[in-house]
Amino acid sequence: MAREIKKGFMGGQYKPLSAYDVGRIHETAFRILEEIGVQVELKEALDIFERGGAKVDRGEKIVKISSELVEEMVESAPSKIVLGGREKENDLVLEGTRVHMGTGGAALNVIDVDSGEKRKGTLRDIADIAKLTDALDNIHFFVRPCIAQDIPIDDLIVNQFYAALSNTTKHVMSGCDRVEKVEEVVEMAELIAGGELRDRPPLSFITSWMDSPLCFATDITKVLIEVVKEGLPVILSSAPMTGLTSPITLAGTLTQLHAEELSGIVLTQLINPGAPVVYGGIPSMVDMHNLRFIAGGVEFGMMNAAISQLSQSIGLPNYNSAGITDASIPDIQAVYEKAYSICQCALSGSNLIHHAAGMLESLLTVDYGLYVIDNEIIGMAMRGVRGIEVNEDTLALDEIKKVGPGGDYLRSKHTRGHMRTEFFEPMLASREERGDKAIQGLGGIRELAKSKAKEILNTHTPTGIDPEVDKRIRERLNILM
Amino acid sequence: MIKISEELFAKIKENVIKGRRNEKDEDLEGGSVGEPGVKELIEEALEGGIEPKRLIECINDAMVTVGKKFETGEYFVPDMLASAEAVSVGMDVLEPQLSKGGIKKEKFVVATVEGDIHDIGKNIFAMMLKGAGFDVIDLGTDVSADEIVKTVKNEDAEIVGIGLSALLTTTMENMGVVIEKLREEKLEKEVLVGGVAVSNEYADKICAIYCADAFEGVDKAKELAKKRG
Repeated sequence: MAREIKKGFMGGQYKPLSAYDVGRIHETAFRILEEIGVQVELKEALDIFERGGAKVDRGEKIVKISSELVEEMVESAPSKIVLGGREKENDLVLEGTRVHMGTGGAALNVIDVDSGEKRKGTLRDIADIAKLTDALDNIHFFVRPCIAQDIPIDDLIVNQFYAALSNTTKHVMSGCDRVEKVEEVVEMAELIAGGELRDRPPLSFITSWMDSPLCFATDITKVLIEVVKEGLPVILSSAPMTGLTSPITLAGTLTQLHAEELSGIVLTQLINPGAPVVYGGIPSMVDMHNLRFIAGGVEFGMMNAAISQLSQSIGLPNYNSAGITDASIPDIQAVYEKAYSICQCALSGSNLIHHAAGMLESLLTVDYGLYVIDNEIIGMAMRGVRGIEVNEDTLALDEIKKVGPGGDYLRSKHTRGHMRTEFFEPMLASREERGDKAIQGLGGIRELAKSKAKEILNTHTPTGIDPEVDKRIRERLNILM
Repeated sequence: MIKISEELFAKIKENVIKGRRNEKDEDLEGGSVGEPGVKELIEEALEGGIEPKRLIECINDAMVTVGKKFETGEYFVPDMLASAEAVSVGMDVLEPQLSKGGIKKEKFVVATVEGDIHDIGKNIFAMMLKGAGFDVIDLGTDVSADEIVKTVKNEDAEIVGIGLSALLTTTMENMGVVIEKLREEKLEKEVLVGGVAVSNEYADKICAIYCADAFEGVDKAKELAKKRG
């Protein structure tokens, strides 16, 4: 049944930049790295850059990188990365224009599924949203959606990963802001993956190592270096905002971001040649009326779609954002903003589109019902990515001949053969006439989505972590659930 | 013998549900070509001396399953139609035996009214009626009130009802004309009306029975047949 739209279809139909534009951005980014450089405080990183042949000014803490070195390091980074699920069918193959969509974080608030009230996120929410994601076919991977504010800070990272991993067999991603925690997370990943950790890791790290413009964030760069040494996949997440931490123009923002990504890629490859690294550009915006972060505007989708083109041009898998809304309640604005950027990024062929489900209020909040609605939006977008299949059978000349002028196709085998797979079958959308039933409107679908979310939470049982493995995880780490 | 007939019934049901009319039909997975379909299986059953009445029960059972699959959304309209078509083929094989046994099928006249050439809805209705075991007299499209009245007169005794279809608001008015002429001729037959333009209010106005779609139409036709006893 076409309610589930498979992951990994090839996108690339939408190209906000021409090939010439991509070339100019690339060349300008080279000039940024050669003439301006990036600021790096961390001595270990400065040492790595210097040993690798970059021009390091220890006094100013500026690293300038030649285009030759960048090209060499980009060449060394793999163009294909496999992210594992706890079940193999959920593995993601990141390469070319293959599209995958997942949840995103890290919200502070959650709209309670029972009361409908906004409250602080908890570890239980991470577990429940992972469970929801596990059951929703069109959400392909899981990014820790909110911060568990009921957990002591020392136990936070490991427990967030655990809550997610034990409730979904899809790939799990999260940030980690303390280098000493990397080892614990890797230990958990090793126990879960058995001998397959490097081939299909069940989790990966998102490192927001870049403080735009052009500054390495010291603590997260430590995490980045540690993860790269471990050989686990890492997302280089950089999110400059137009007019605030990057130029006001879309092209200027993309160019600075491209330079930032290239500097990060160089570092990873100097540490561990061939290390799996994902180009994680999240160009964002601020409202020039009040300097609020915004991501529901159309330019957000345009820029994030351009990220696919920029990463594809250097042959690296990418990660970006779509599905964010600036609406504070799940209203009409929320869904049109979501649908718009999800479509843009999906059609541009992004490999890991996070924030694609559940987000509300410019990333401050997640909403249970919205995961179900966004699952539907993603399904439609993925159907668009799949495209129109044209071959002898789908052209249907024989059928047209058989039915002839004035006939109908309802009784043809061809119809029965294709009707279940040719169309996306919505789970929520109403296609009934406006009749005696109360006019549903958006409130109707919100209620429907919420009850669907509740139903999943009450009835779905995700495949758990193997009890033996779980025991060992609990012996070694302080698991609080 | 009993075991053999049970097996045969199961096969007939299976093939009705799959919508395989005869051995030439493939199933949805593209297989089964060359294996007997409903036509061959009914022929085999009759040769084996199984009573036509029991075969009709078996077909009805299968159609109940098809109806359930349709209600749950597992089956789409074309699946229903394929099953109805398979039943229709089976009924054609059974027909001579039924006549011999003095069993007459309920008749139903269907037509798209004068001025209207849209027949997809009418055809679905006709096919579903056949699938429900009716003998359907399909007069086609753009049928004048006089022709409908003439047909009803000729076949009067066995006719359960008349189904009229129209897509256009302009041609819909001709439904009322048909009913007026039937009453003038003292033909007290129930008339089912359907089609995009037709509303419950309009049906009430012309003293017809409103059907929202072909499936409701078949349900109402069955009710009429039941009432008639």
